Amino acid sequence: MAKKSAAHAPLTPAVLHILLALSTGERHGYAIMKQVQVDSQGKATMGPGTLYGSMGRMMEAGLIRESDKRVDPEMDDERRIYYELTGAGRAALDAELQRYRNVVAVAKGRLAHGH
Amino acid sequence: MATNVAGRRYRTWYAMLLRLYPRPFRERFGEEMAQTFHDLCREQEDAKRGLHGLALWIFFETSVGIVRENTIHMSQLGNTILRVALGALVALMVPLVASRVVKGWNWNAGSFVFVYVLFFATGMVYALIARKMNVWSYKAGVGVALVAGFALGWSNMVHVADSENPANLVYYSVLALGAVGAWLARLEARGLARTLFAMAATLALIAVMLPSGAPPYLARNMAIGHGVFVALLTASGLLFRHASLAGLK
Repeated sequence: MAKKSAAHAPLTPAVLHILLALSTGERHGYAIMKQVQVDSQGKATMGPGTLYGSMGRMMEAGLIRESDKRVDPEMDDERRIYYELTGAGRAALDAELQRYRNVVAVAKGRLAHGH
Repeated sequence: MATNVAGRRYRTWYAMLLRLYPRPFRERFGEEMAQTFHDLCREQEDAKRGLHGLALWIFFETSVGIVRENTIHMSQLGNTILRVALGALVALMVPLVASRVVKGWNWNAGSFVFVYVLFFATGMVYALIARKMNVWSYKAGVGVALVAGFALGWSNMVHVADSENPANLVYYSVLALGAVGAWLARLEARGLARTLFAMAATLALIAVMLPSGAPPYLARNMAIGHGVFVALLTASGLLFRHASLAGLK
């Protein structure tokens, strides 16, 4: 029930950014933070408190899950937990992006008619 | 050099700050958060930038997270207590109704209060332990172990009261073994599996060592009773073993 409602409810900015960061593949926490910075062109900065608090709730809602624990060859020799989107997470992201597209379409229509 | 010293100091302070998170959250994400803070500090150091601004922001941001997670945790705990209290009340209806129907069932008010406290305590133990691992077999293992432990303790208490034979107190050694094993295993699935198998083996050993000479019908009932408890404890051990293997994947 929670998973179903989570897939259709509007998302918080933090959850949307995390889903977006994971949409191209699995990442560990630090890589998600860096990807959020890149995706938002530096406008959204997420600290560990927001990131892991949001990820905890997203895991409970079934939007993301742990995929692996391994070393990131581009960093150091510490093992890191990787996260990936679930089917529900991808559906939630698609639904949110569709909502944004609808808003943009309405706004474009209004502006075109000068209202 | 000075940055390295500052970095080490900030990492130590950050690890101390993380202790303020609710325990389940800290056990789940504490290590990762410390690792992420370490990565952020290293990135700052590699770019030859000062750490003070970053540390101040992260400490503030994490403190907000600590307040938020503790608020959520307290509210969830309150809901859990309420649900368990209501569940115990529903469970209490069984002996309450039975005492009206079954002849010779004469519990006083104190007995009902005692049983309610037992139901509530068992429910709370389940609620607090089962959320340690988000795997169905772990939760089921906790449930089966608690039901078996509760039934074993209860039936033994009744039996000791009826027979007035203190030798029956030996069954409490099985429960004591379970409590010590769970404590030593820190509630980890692998250790709990071993604990439950040890409890089943101990109970089987007690059953074998029982003095013979009981009437056949009583001996058969006792064998069935022991068999059921050994099966329940073994089933719980297998469920924990499954959870342990699932946790490794």
